[in-house]
Amino acid sequence: MIVPALEMRNIVKTFPGVRALSGVDLMVQRGSIHAVVGENGAGKSTLMKILSGMYQPSSGDILIDGAPVTLASPAVAAHFGIAMVHQELNLAPDLSVAENVFLGRTPRRGPFVDRKALRTGAKDVLGTIGARLNVDALVGGLTVSQQQLVEIAKAYAAGPRIIVLDEPTSSLSEHESTALFDVLRRMRAQGTAVIYISHRLREVLAIADEVTVLRDGALAGARPREGLTSEEMIHLMVGRKVTDLFPKQAATIGEPLLEIEALSDGRRVQDVSLTVRAGEIVGMTGLVGAGRTEVARAIVGLGPRTAGTIRVRGHNVAPRNPAEAQRAGIVYVPEDRKRDGILPTLCVRENITLPILTSLSRLGWVRGGAERAEAQGQSRRLGISPSDPERRVSLLSGGNQQKAVIARWLASRPAVLILDEPTRGVDVGAKAEIHAIIGDLVSQGLGVLMISSELPEVMAVSDRVYVMHEGRIAPPLERHELDERRIMALATGEAVT
Amino acid sequence: MSVAPLSPPRHSTRSMLATAGSLALPLAVVAVLLLGVSTSSNFLTVSNLLNVLTSMSIIGVIVVAMTFVLITGGLADLSVPATVGMGAILTLALQPMLGTVGAFSAGVLAAGGAGLLNGVLVGYARINAIIVTLATGTVILGVAQWVVGGVIVYGADPTSGNLLKGRVGGVPTIVLIFASVVILGHLLLSHTVWGRWSRATGDSLSAATAAAVPVKLVSAGAFVLTGIAGGISGGLLALTLQNARPGIGQGYEFSAITAVVVGGVSILGGQGSVLRAVGGLIFIQLLTNVMTLTGVRTPVQGLALGLLIIAAVALDLAVRKRGGA
Repeated sequence: MIVPALEMRNIVKTFPGVRALSGVDLMVQRGSIHAVVGENGAGKSTLMKILSGMYQPSSGDILIDGAPVTLASPAVAAHFGIAMVHQELNLAPDLSVAENVFLGRTPRRGPFVDRKALRTGAKDVLGTIGARLNVDALVGGLTVSQQQLVEIAKAYAAGPRIIVLDEPTSSLSEHESTALFDVLRRMRAQGTAVIYISHRLREVLAIADEVTVLRDGALAGARPREGLTSEEMIHLMVGRKVTDLFPKQAATIGEPLLEIEALSDGRRVQDVSLTVRAGEIVGMTGLVGAGRTEVARAIVGLGPRTAGTIRVRGHNVAPRNPAEAQRAGIVYVPEDRKRDGILPTLCVRENITLPILTSLSRLGWVRGGAERAEAQGQSRRLGISPSDPERRVSLLSGGNQQKAVIARWLASRPAVLILDEPTRGVDVGAKAEIHAIIGDLVSQGLGVLMISSELPEVMAVSDRVYVMHEGRIAPPLERHELDERRIMALATGEAVT
Repeated sequence: MSVAPLSPPRHSTRSMLATAGSLALPLAVVAVLLLGVSTSSNFLTVSNLLNVLTSMSIIGVIVVAMTFVLITGGLADLSVPATVGMGAILTLALQPMLGTVGAFSAGVLAAGGAGLLNGVLVGYARINAIIVTLATGTVILGVAQWVVGGVIVYGADPTSGNLLKGRVGGVPTIVLIFASVVILGHLLLSHTVWGRWSRATGDSLSAATAAAVPVKLVSAGAFVLTGIAGGISGGLLALTLQNARPGIGQGYEFSAITAVVVGGVSILGGQGSVLRAVGGLIFIQLLTNVMTLTGVRTPVQGLALGLLIIAAVALDLAVRKRGGA
């Protein structure tokens, strides 16, 4: 029997309060390409962080070439021949291709860099993986796909037995991806075990020899590529039962409040149209990088907008910044609460009243009584706990911080509320409360556009769902049409009829 | 999948450090007072204390404005010596044509205009404030000198300084002017929309932007304030001394930044108050006075102040880090 290059057995990883992986197995053969697929949050990156020594498993075994190992740190993992190519590139833009390929392992003659060995070494590596690049070119001047090749060459130059590529094609065009696949096939031919993380099912079917599917932190299935279809993969990815965690409240749906037509941001978002009506919760989902957040930011003027029209209650608007969007009746609760949401050293009251402070003041002088009343009212309305509005917002739990950010925007009495991952990183109880708040708001006639990566949440809460894939949006699915497989098919670009 | 650790925020450590931080300054002032009383018989006299107050008043106007620069996260305004010089030179140079009040106002306006230039470059063009103000400082001073065509300007009307040297109810006029600036600055920061926007901008630029705060305007405004303050300070200085050299405001940026930072205003923005910054100024002025009275030599005084800045910044960063803010 052939000993696999890598075997991970029954890997469990728990974080305080969260079980990220519950008994995952992964077996990768030498000289093969092994794809690991799964929804956002299925546990792919946690598993890979364990493999690269960044995380320690809570339990489980890792065997390399049949021998059990402990990957105590990234350095130890590298010593065992494990190389990672991350989604974000880690290159020095002002150094040449050759210098980047041997970054940290520059060949030397005495105390000096051996430039000759550096250049020939880099040429060898690039030749082996079939990448046609000038070794003297500065990395900063290369295209993203060329930089990706440098990153791969850098990983490959260390002579790894196992190389992990995390979503390597997410920033590449189809043509560039094809070139990358040639590189992967060459590495396979050299006997390297290649682990390929992706959510593009078509690519997985095109290149992988074996496929492991993760779902909710557990193994959903491991199959050879032979005979596997994308329908089966989608089924494995989303096969969970939808529990009624999020009770849906009935609301009367009225006139369109927000109409977006042919919106583009000149980068990722292309030709996006959508409508949000009064009393309606519209879900927007897609995989990471599909362009959902970019759409929201373009609408409220936080991001660029190169084409398209925005109508609020039938009137054309073109907000250039959040203040103008707010006046037009559109407000946005950003995805990254810590960075773009809360003002950490300000208190709850100051966080809530910030966008409407002018209306609570006279000639620039803040009317203390009016401000306190507004803050207290919004805080009570959303059940922010602890109820003391003078408390510093950074001392609240994640869920209550999120409520404070939502409260901030309700105070301006908007027509449409855009929520970007409103329940990310909050506990289950707070999640239910936030869903109840959203339900309340639409029953009062607001329109809500909710961006979320969590399919169960999107399906339970939304009246209609838009799915984005690579900057484009699909026609909405009505509530009775909602089906996880259908959404995943749209999100991965594998549209099923 | 959420992997956010669910451990509660560390209230105790943070509030202890915060309490220590807020009590440190008053205690330090008391300590330096006691030190002064016990080491010098001249310290606790009306004339000495009035002397300290008068000498802190002119720099104090800048301290109030500099507080806004640090609070909005604008780092520091290093062009202060130039705006002080501009205010001083214009006040005396234009006095024969515009009269004392007119010339003083012209100096303040011109310095405010220089501040506006800084503000646009920092707030709107988003160039690093240190680089911008270092560069504009040289330009501003050059323009001021070129306009008056000389190196040193003398007062044309010696009586114009008398008002500033006079006293109202035993308190020197210049101290009263400083006190009014402090009160105005304090009210602006703690009770107005502008003040709230300033703190929000310094606390988190991206969150303030998303929360509809006009962050560019607010960042730029802080530099207009330091420009105006530099002009006022320079004008007062020139009228008091009855002469103005281009280098008249040399070192004022350092003294003002020291006071603001020692007063516990965060160099990272968002936190602090005008009154705390003034507290920092009082502490430094008293300390310098005690050192002078007890015969500590000037280089040693500089050493002490430098160490003080480092200690204050280190404390600020430590408090921020523990708070996870």
